[in-house]
Amino acid sequence: MIGQIWFPLYITLKISFVSSLIVAILGTLISYILARREFMGKWLIDSLITLPMILPPTVTGYMLVVLLGKNGVLGKVLFDLTGIKLLFTWQAAVIAAFVVSLPLMVKTATAAIEAVDRELEYVAYTLGRSELETAFLITLPLAKKGIFAGIVLSFARAVGEFGATLMVAGNIPGRTNTMAISIYSAFQSGNSELANTLVIVLVLMSLVSMAVTTKLVNSWKI
Amino acid sequence: MGIKVDFKKRFYKHKNMKKKKDPSFTLDVNFEAGNELVVLFGRSGSGKTTTLRCIAGLEKPNEGKIIVNDRVYFDCNGNVDLPPQQRVLGYVFQNYALFPHMDVKKNITYGLRGRTGHEKENRMKEMLRLLHIEGLEDHFPSQLSGGQKQRVALARALAPGPDILLLDEPFSALDMVVRMKLRERIKLIQKELNIPVLFITHNPVEAFTLADKIVAYHEGAVQQIGTPDEVFYRPNNRHVAELAGVTNIFDDAMFIRHIDEHRTLFKAGDLSIISRHIDLGPGEGVSWGIRPENIILAGSNKDNIEVHENHFSGKVISIVNKGTSKLIAIGPGNERRILISEVSNKAYEELNLFQGCCCTFSFASRDVLIFT
Repeated sequence: MIGQIWFPLYITLKISFVSSLIVAILGTLISYILARREFMGKWLIDSLITLPMILPPTVTGYMLVVLLGKNGVLGKVLFDLTGIKLLFTWQAAVIAAFVVSLPLMVKTATAAIEAVDRELEYVAYTLGRSELETAFLITLPLAKKGIFAGIVLSFARAVGEFGATLMVAGNIPGRTNTMAISIYSAFQSGNSELANTLVIVLVLMSLVSMAVTTKLVNSWKI
Repeated sequence: MGIKVDFKKRFYKHKNMKKKKDPSFTLDVNFEAGNELVVLFGRSGSGKTTTLRCIAGLEKPNEGKIIVNDRVYFDCNGNVDLPPQQRVLGYVFQNYALFPHMDVKKNITYGLRGRTGHEKENRMKEMLRLLHIEGLEDHFPSQLSGGQKQRVALARALAPGPDILLLDEPFSALDMVVRMKLRERIKLIQKELNIPVLFITHNPVEAFTLADKIVAYHEGAVQQIGTPDEVFYRPNNRHVAELAGVTNIFDDAMFIRHIDEHRTLFKAGDLSIISRHIDLGPGEGVSWGIRPENIILAGSNKDNIEVHENHFSGKVISIVNKGTSKLIAIGPGNERRILISEVSNKAYEELNLFQGCCCTFSFASRDVLIFT
């Protein structure tokens, strides 16, 4: 039973951390560009990123399978070049978690960056600082609450991710059985003791991490 | 040395109408200045801020040139458009734009990249002394008063040693006393650093007291460039006159004759008015105006009237208390026109005026403003 709890906990946290790390880096970059640049087709990029938020997870999962499968658009190139099969691995689960949690990050962080007074950036430019320096020293530090909130939301979304993950990574014991998926299969097989334990662990973990991050963010002055 | 600005920037109501439609607003700026304090003077929306933004490289003109200290910042024909980082200028925004997450020390030294810690420290101390804000270096912007924020913003703009200083309505949010102190400080700093300072304001008092040179704006176009005396006492046209606080402006002056080489007689409705000499021929018309404080009221008591060339009798139509002074609306003779006279509280007490009473008033020929 211990193993039946530890592994799902471990693989859930691993997938969520890796996914959130990528979301944090790429999401911040995308949010900065969306908030501060005007370019052709901006609405299309914005819509594509937001889409997984409103689509049923099965649809997102299905599209990822089509894209990443051995005969999929990207999956085939990867397989032909390196022999790597992505589907039904924890990395595939990371991709699923990334895609569904990215819109939460981008929406939150874009709003936070847009709220930073542009004149602060202009002043920095007139003081001789480049856009990159200004982004790192002025804009992002002032938007950090929103960016951090976006990362936390994305992490929470990744922990709770079920539908798309099931489709791209399956439910392989010892490899891809995350908390959410293990709870479902324990419930399906009538193992209510395991299901209860997993649910309590997941709820407690979520509560504690939310409380800690809220405290932390509130302690920031700006 | 100094600044030379000559550019046009067009604005369009809709982005994609650029090719089809005429611009909805055109900013057309042309002035030169040496190492002096230049006030860009005009109503809000007349293009003053856009002028500064174009000089700073935050906006791009459609045509023309911007040259500071013989360095070309922008030249449409020569294809030069330096990014703001390469333009050596200090810019103080209307809302100060201090970095809220940095203390005063970090704010001031932000533009001093590439200098050693020791150099930065010295330069910061120098700036604190220059602006009389020693002891504030560890404060955050949220802990500063409006006047202190303004000084820190100035210190930050001046720290890198700019070739020119741009100030966008820097005192608009400050109370009178702080304003007056900072005006003096700006004047001193301009003299000490000996660089051109461009200062935006819509406040006539500020423009008059600060400027070495005034550039008067109206709806995107420069109307007049001159000393405060020239702009306030010899406005080019009615827009400048209005800006300079001339509330009595009329379009009906008809030339009668030259009295002598210094004075001209003209008629405006029923009023015969003597002004300084104007170049007009018989039958030609111009606009004329008189500042409210230059109309001297004598009440109904004719003994104490000052003897001026122009004196008339009329009726008090209304009295408005401005607090610091009174505005008296007078209807001269049988005319429909209304003249506004500004009277100090003390003078008002002695005049014993009331609504509907008769009064006499006069003004000097040299105070009559003539413009086209």
